[in-house]
Amino acid sequence: MDALIQAFGLVFDPFVLGVIAVSAVFGMFVGAMPGLTATMATALLVPVTFFMPPVPALGAIVTATAMAIFAGDIPAAMLRMPGTPASAAYADESYAMTKKGQLNLNMGVNLVFSVAGGLVGVAVLIAAAPLLAEVAINFSSFEYFWLACLGLTCAVFLTNADAVKGFLSLFIGLLLATVGIDPSAGAPRFTFGEVELMQGVNFVATMIGVFAVSELLRGASTVRDAGHVVVQQVGDMFRGLGAVFRRYWFNFLRGSAIGTVIGALPGAGADIAAWISYAVSKRFSKEPEKFGTGHVEGIVDSTSANNSALGGAWIPALVFGIPGDSITAIVIGVLYMKGMNPGPTVFTENPQLIYAVFLIFILANLIMLPLGWAAIKSARQMLRTPRNILLPMILMFCIVGSFAMTNSLYGVAIMLAMGIFGWFLEEHGVPVAPLILGLVLGEMLEQTFVQNMIKADGNWLAFVDRPIAGALGVATLLIWAVMIARGTGLLGARRAAAA
Amino acid sequence: MRVNDAVLGVLLLGFAGWVWWLTSFFPAFPGQDYGPSLFPRILAAGIAGCGLLLALRGLRARQRLLTLDEWVRDPARLVSVLLMPGAVLAYIFVVDTLGFIPTAFAILLVLFLWFRARPVVALPVAAGVTLTIHWFFAGMMRVPLPRGLLDSVL
Repeated sequence: MDALIQAFGLVFDPFVLGVIAVSAVFGMFVGAMPGLTATMATALLVPVTFFMPPVPALGAIVTATAMAIFAGDIPAAMLRMPGTPASAAYADESYAMTKKGQLNLNMGVNLVFSVAGGLVGVAVLIAAAPLLAEVAINFSSFEYFWLACLGLTCAVFLTNADAVKGFLSLFIGLLLATVGIDPSAGAPRFTFGEVELMQGVNFVATMIGVFAVSELLRGASTVRDAGHVVVQQVGDMFRGLGAVFRRYWFNFLRGSAIGTVIGALPGAGADIAAWISYAVSKRFSKEPEKFGTGHVEGIVDSTSANNSALGGAWIPALVFGIPGDSITAIVIGVLYMKGMNPGPTVFTENPQLIYAVFLIFILANLIMLPLGWAAIKSARQMLRTPRNILLPMILMFCIVGSFAMTNSLYGVAIMLAMGIFGWFLEEHGVPVAPLILGLVLGEMLEQTFVQNMIKADGNWLAFVDRPIAGALGVATLLIWAVMIARGTGLLGARRAAAA
Repeated sequence: MRVNDAVLGVLLLGFAGWVWWLTSFFPAFPGQDYGPSLFPRILAAGIAGCGLLLALRGLRARQRLLTLDEWVRDPARLVSVLLMPGAVLAYIFVVDTLGFIPTAFAILLVLFLWFRARPVVALPVAAGVTLTIHWFFAGMMRVPLPRGLLDSVL
């Protein structure tokens, strides 16, 4: 109880509230601009939060991402351009509603169900995380090895890209994590005599490169011929919402549940949650023929799902130190930088910080209602921000942000190299999220693997001897089997026959 | 811009071989079977496996060796894309001599003008953004942004 009171004190502090308010506006803006994603918002925030105490730093990230995921719905409905990938699943449906003259209702549904879905995700986080932490406290290096394996496997399994390219991205990320001093023997690896490389590949500079610079490279080719966009003004967005809720309350619950679970699965975040819940909604709808023509049902499911995924993603991140999506991958990096190593012990050693994160989550979702309303009302002005001013500004911010992470040009060089590399990978259909997860989890995976090998002394059965480790191991191997079956066409044929 | 999967696969095989070769220089510890080279070697094998699969698939699909996008053929767009890494490279090479403020201002101004912002907008925005970033990072966050030419003034 003391911890909860302490947490209130930590959160309701003028500085923290100020940071939350500023990051809320920042998140809304980044989310609403097509081409700027929630992950990019987080990557750009980290250099700023680096110098803050843990609570405002985490507060900034939680708030900005929650806002960005909602704000992505605004240009999706108005321009058919999803503001973040998380809104891509239902951008066509949203735009079709707008063309039918239901922009007001559409925006109201997106806003209210985003808030409600977000709150469901937080509720599950609050209920599940401490319980899981109690189980996790008994985990040994075998369990952590399999958890990391399972997380990384899910990251590949759940991306829509093909499995070979997903694994390729993962291996490259894990290999990048081996640069620097080796965790078990202390020998320098792949440093080429450079002192800066001894500390490893800087994680935040890599993030900024892969998620922001590569995006700028893609955006740059069309900046010069971007015309001005015309969007309509939104009227009373809350009219008719009651009827939607009474009719589709089950869709809301189902969407939020799917979103939370997908978010909690390592490696899959809000965008995949939205795709899956939209598909589920269509599959089980009584009127599937209306989907795609501006039907509100699928939007209820998926707009709740993408916001609830955010809370879900924090469950494995806080309890095991295994990120649920690319945003929490950054969060884990931040936690390590703050000396708060994520894992079950945080719940006993620093419970006030955990409660503070919960409070900020609730707060962020509550202020989303008025702020989201304001963002929708001012969308006309916001979407008119010229990209030819925005892109160079973001580039400069990327440069300074990565410089600040190492206080040297080494960070800037890493950012540039990773930006071009990430762009190259995405051009070839190689997803970058597994790479980032590999980079974050690489050290843990290697350390537990080598420890286990030494403990087991050649006896492979030791890896699955303990019950939880065994279950996690079997789950991982099962997913591998499914992927191999899918790759060789065994499942593909059956699915084609079913369809 | 994409290269054929077969070419990509061969590149990856070469890369994996290079990584394996590098691991052979890592120190080994007597009596310790699982040394620093174990994990990177597993990864190199994984990358080689992916490379092999991609190469086989690429050969079967018979794609073009190199597929170029629209923007590569349009000189103006090509410059737009190349300006982004170019600006970062320019920053890396001159910032220590010139200092953050002149470098950032020049880079922003060039990019704004190339992207067809009006000079009336570009000049004040470039100055404003540069000074804001400098105030925030150098002033508030105590990041040692290079002072360069302005060392005596700041």
